[in-house]
Amino acid sequence: MIPLLVRSHFSLGWGTSSPDRLCARARELGYDRLALTDTNNLYGLWDFLSACRRHGIVPIVGAEVTDPETGRRAVCLVENQEGFSNLCRILTRRHCQRGFSLERAVKVFPEGLTVLTDSARLLSAWCREGVRTAGLLTCAPSSRNRLLAEAAQRLGVHLVAAPDSFFATPEEAPVHRLLRAISQNTCLSRLEPGDCALPDAWLAGSDEYTRRFAACPEAIQASHEIAERLAFTGPAPALVMPPWKEASGRDAAAILRQDAYAGAQKRYGRDLPENVVERLEHELAVIRDMNFSSYFLVVADIVRKSPRVCGRGSGAASLVAYCLGITNVCPVKHNLYFERFLNPGRTDPPDLDIDFAWDERDGVIARVLGEHPGRAAMVCSIVLFQPRMAVRETAKIFGLPEAEISRVTKKLPWHWRESAADEGFLDSVCQRPETQGLSFPEPWPEIMALARRLLGMPRHLSVHPGGVVLTPDAIDGYAPLEMAKKGVPVIQWDKDGAEEAGLVKIDLLGNRSLGVIRDAVDSLTENGAHLPDRWEPEDDPATQAAVAMGRTMGCFYIESPAMRLLQKKARVGDFEHLVIHSSIIRPAANDYIREYVHRLHGGEWDPIHPLLSDVLSETYGIMVYQEDVSRAAVALAGFSHAEADRLRKVMSKKDREHHLTDYRERFFSGAAENGVVPETAAQVWDMILSFSGYSFCKPHSASYARVSFQAAYLKEHFPAEFMAAVISNQGGFYSCFAYVSEARRMGLALLPPDVNQSRIAWHGRDRKLRVGLMAIRSLSEACRCRIVGQRLKGSFSCLEDFLARVRPNEDESRALILAGALDRFEDESGRAGLLWRDARWRKIREKPGQMELFRETVHGVKAPAMPPEAPLDRLRREFSVLGFLCEHHPMELFRGSLAKVWTVPAADLARHAGKRVRTAGWLITGKVVRTKHNDPMEFLTFEDETGTLEATFFPEAYARFARILDHGRPYLLEGKVEEDWGTVTLTVDSAQPLAATTDA
Amino acid sequence: MERSIIHLNVADFAVAVERACQPRLRGRPVIVASSGAARASVYDMSDEAFSAGVRKGMPLFQARRACPDAALVDPRPGAYVRAMEDLSAPGLSFSPLLEPGQGDGHLFVDVTGTSRIHGPAVDVAWRLGRHAKSLLGLSPAWSVAPNKLVAKAATRVVKPRGECIVGAGEEESFLAPLSLSLIPGIEAPDLAALHRFNLSTAGEAAAWTPDQLWVPFGSRAFFLHDAVRGRDASPVLPPGARPPAVIETREFSPDTNEREVLEGALYTLCEQAGARLRAMGRASGGARLSLEYADAVRTPRQAGIKPASACDPVLFAAASRAMATAWTRRVRVRKMTLVFDRLGFFPAQMELFPDPGVRRMEKVCAVLDQVREHFGPRALQTGRTLEAT
Repeated sequence: MIPLLVRSHFSLGWGTSSPDRLCARARELGYDRLALTDTNNLYGLWDFLSACRRHGIVPIVGAEVTDPETGRRAVCLVENQEGFSNLCRILTRRHCQRGFSLERAVKVFPEGLTVLTDSARLLSAWCREGVRTAGLLTCAPSSRNRLLAEAAQRLGVHLVAAPDSFFATPEEAPVHRLLRAISQNTCLSRLEPGDCALPDAWLAGSDEYTRRFAACPEAIQASHEIAERLAFTGPAPALVMPPWKEASGRDAAAILRQDAYAGAQKRYGRDLPENVVERLEHELAVIRDMNFSSYFLVVADIVRKSPRVCGRGSGAASLVAYCLGITNVCPVKHNLYFERFLNPGRTDPPDLDIDFAWDERDGVIARVLGEHPGRAAMVCSIVLFQPRMAVRETAKIFGLPEAEISRVTKKLPWHWRESAADEGFLDSVCQRPETQGLSFPEPWPEIMALARRLLGMPRHLSVHPGGVVLTPDAIDGYAPLEMAKKGVPVIQWDKDGAEEAGLVKIDLLGNRSLGVIRDAVDSLTENGAHLPDRWEPEDDPATQAAVAMGRTMGCFYIESPAMRLLQKKARVGDFEHLVIHSSIIRPAANDYIREYVHRLHGGEWDPIHPLLSDVLSETYGIMVYQEDVSRAAVALAGFSHAEADRLRKVMSKKDREHHLTDYRERFFSGAAENGVVPETAAQVWDMILSFSGYSFCKPHSASYARVSFQAAYLKEHFPAEFMAAVISNQGGFYSCFAYVSEARRMGLALLPPDVNQSRIAWHGRDRKLRVGLMAIRSLSEACRCRIVGQRLKGSFSCLEDFLARVRPNEDESRALILAGALDRFEDESGRAGLLWRDARWRKIREKPGQMELFRETVHGVKAPAMPPEAPLDRLRREFSVLGFLCEHHPMELFRGSLAKVWTVPAADLARHAGKRVRTAGWLITGKVVRTKHNDPMEFLTFEDETGTLEATFFPEAYARFARILDHGRPYLLEGKVEEDWGTVTLTVDSAQPLAATTDA
Repeated sequence: MERSIIHLNVADFAVAVERACQPRLRGRPVIVASSGAARASVYDMSDEAFSAGVRKGMPLFQARRACPDAALVDPRPGAYVRAMEDLSAPGLSFSPLLEPGQGDGHLFVDVTGTSRIHGPAVDVAWRLGRHAKSLLGLSPAWSVAPNKLVAKAATRVVKPRGECIVGAGEEESFLAPLSLSLIPGIEAPDLAALHRFNLSTAGEAAAWTPDQLWVPFGSRAFFLHDAVRGRDASPVLPPGARPPAVIETREFSPDTNEREVLEGALYTLCEQAGARLRAMGRASGGARLSLEYADAVRTPRQAGIKPASACDPVLFAAASRAMATAWTRRVRVRKMTLVFDRLGFFPAQMELFPDPGVRRMEKVCAVLDQVREHFGPRALQTGRTLEAT
């Protein structure tokens, strides 16, 4: 018996086991071949193939395809490469073609496939057409499959035993029921029998199947015969390059050469320096030999049509890319390492990643897809059950109310750490400082136990933010496609799957800051100012000074608290150092940062080893960039470029631990051969280990540093325009609230929203910042557009005029009034009076009903007397619709409760260095990190009217206070003021939330 | 004619009853909730527990954390209904117009025009209060006012104990300084809207004319206009004056979304209601089912019964139809209330083509009633109710 109908958890909502688990189980049961036939997809193909390699199983590739109209199904098993392409085509049509018919699809693409079906009708139809087919028996012959048996006999085809299997072992049946209930949006007790698989649908051993099919042993035998035919064990590895076709029929390499030289002359002038020519030649040769010329041309073509892009990643190290306009930083000037991007030993496809302004990105992708119809698709990303989602979905099945669920889930981590998986889920959740004070009465233990089993299972497919693949001919011959919800075609594999399939991905990503810079520049031009003709912001002294002081909130890539603190400590603001700083900030590099600042300020140091002095000369002997890992491995331990590159890649993988052991040995022996003493080798290895998780390569940081400088320049010289663009583009590191406070600290005047003045976006001019209509919560997009549209026809003259022309709904009116956007129409009864007049306007428009009598007179009803609005109420209401206050810092609302407590304002902390103080601040952002001992701690940023304050909650304080810390609230803090290279932080030992008072 | 309405308000009634039964509970915080259930919620709590942050409907574990030293008592709704009857009983000797709440410690007595027989209304109220004190060991808040609304507002003002007398013509001036949240019938959405107009006391709201109120509040304006002035013409309704109906409720502790449990409970309620209907010699023409979910969402639904019946399976069929439209969420159900109304006598005219199945079931029900009367309600049970008990 060979199991031919096996589903993994990639049969979403049905299967429960990973391909790895299935293969391991199959091996235990003594199988040497196994088919994976997920329903209507090949999501799990690459996982399955690698699991088969690990467990020594010969894979059979296939899929179960269903007919949405008739409910009939077929199991398509792949015999050869052509069959694989045909399966991809059938699956693509299953997802993308309206009126899909399984019968027809198999007739059109029969080659290379063996098709099993349990429908007598399909069996006859396909047999007539010569499709290689057989009858599918999921259980022993009985009256239920009599028709199929008769048809098979009549047609002279085999009946094959292929029992349905949805889980590896019987113990997974409850998880299956849970998944079914989640998919059906119901609870366990309301699942109907047809909603679930049969209880025996697990992957059983040969003996069990022989017993089940005792009445029909030939069906078992047939599974062997069929499996013999299926020699296909996965698609042949080959890189699929995007096509470049030109009318002249010239070779892509020749065109690339011409374009690169033309671009170089634009960048460097007509007479190219020798080193540029040398490097161009070298790069062009590598690119030609590796066959990447067309890839460069396709990317250059995409970029050429967009006004503002920023290359990211290692691609920025390529001079060819720079000359083609794909990237914006000169790799020769900044000494960027081309081998990090491309080297002849590299077998995986390179990545040229490009950023577009976030709101232009979708248009670019649509254009690329449109220009290559049928030959382009996006890469998918498979969304897995993470702790929050798993617990939420399970708790809903158990019928817990929303409030009770979110009380728990909001304390859970977003992502699951593998190390905690060994302990009980509930136990590890209970140990988290965030969950202190929560209790888990029945049925929570059961929920947690079940939810634990969902973790890591795929939940649904979504679209990778920017990965596009292009193929030389129809893409559905390479990969199965489906339509994503937002209407774009996606391949059924994520970026790793696409890489395994040899599909070269182009990343077209969205970047908020490119939008910020665009808007700020547009705005300053509109205000009559202009940028210098040759805009070199990195050479501007004022900008450099601002960067050196960490005054970069709102500036791309360098605005996080950690980055700003480092800038302040370093006190340098030039381009080269900024590139170092934005790369050295990594989770595990704290010690090296400290050492770096020390050396920067003149501390003595020697190169760690003479062999490395060249490699690390520009970074004060400290490994900063991702490629320093490979370069150090090459220089110190004699790694080949390709080998060193693999080491670098392993550092960012989740399962790096077991790979690293081999590399470590190789590194130490190589270093010894070069005469490096073990102690030094160990020091360098430790430094290499600090690149675990994420790290940055120099080309990437340099490319981004350019954008950072542009932002910093605009902030320094056009603060109002810049801050308006930052807030309007949203999605920065901080909330709107924090940016508003920053604007106020910069001395900008904040003008309240106003229906006659505000635009949809925020607008800055002459150090004044006008709140945009977008800031008012619960104001619909359509209403904002109507306000601006109507204003073109003339300003609003009174409230009634505004209402009549804009017709906002009741919630929108209320929000506008409470936000102060209609204050210009206020009379002595204040905003309450506006609300009442708004209600009167609605009454007049109401459809005639039983209140007809009043309607006649409603025009004449005078506004009633209303008590004056308490100032604090007014501010509270304003805060509730805007999320910030225009004329005050919300901390002022809490001054009443602070009256009896002596606190130090944030701006004065520096004067109390080394002392214990008490201070009060509004929590604006925070970042949880882990110490060397894996204890969680948090860096939090608070602010008050005078400035921001960086607070550190070490593990002990974090354990005590994590559960009360919530963004967007004020706290009273106590702790010690620490000073380090001119920066001030507060090490907190006590925190308590601040209660609101009613007295202003 | 000037009316005199007495209102008696025993604060935290369930706690008061429990304290009357168990003196050890006096002088310490008390939470009434099912202790056996894993996910019980608070049924009622004493004033001390309220101050500590405990609220009705709050999950018990949370309540216990808020008030760890509170004594925990299992709720006994039957006992509260009986206590309510005891509380109201002496009222009947003063007036037939007596409106007790549903086991919640509220009692209205209309003593209009009885002063010549029983003495002034205040004396009657004082006597009723004294009776409550002897019954429960604590004096309730009581008030005398010209109508129910003002009477209730008055006891809210003096709660937990004390008395308040509002004379005819003083209603408006009495309410004027009070916070709008104390006016009965003004609920959260109205309050929020009133606050937006900077109105916080009844007096401020009373300055508005009906048409000014009508502008933002529509048809609610007339109620609001009267309420803030202390005008209320609603009569005191004795239980008998309400339309007849058979009401059965079931609280689930722990709350549940298990189909077997809910259907079993529904059948049990139909059996109980059926037995009561048959004992009354009435048939019901309609079922109303209300499910209350754990997040306090309520879904009331109804289904007609034609011809009217008192036979369990027929009642269950109607209740199930209501259930099919009421039970649409995954959230657990906390309480099920089943009402059979449109009661009438069995039709004297026999059906021309009676359903033989129903005839048989009617006979079975009659036999079941006899067996249960002799041997207790659990003597014979249908299979589906086993899961629910």
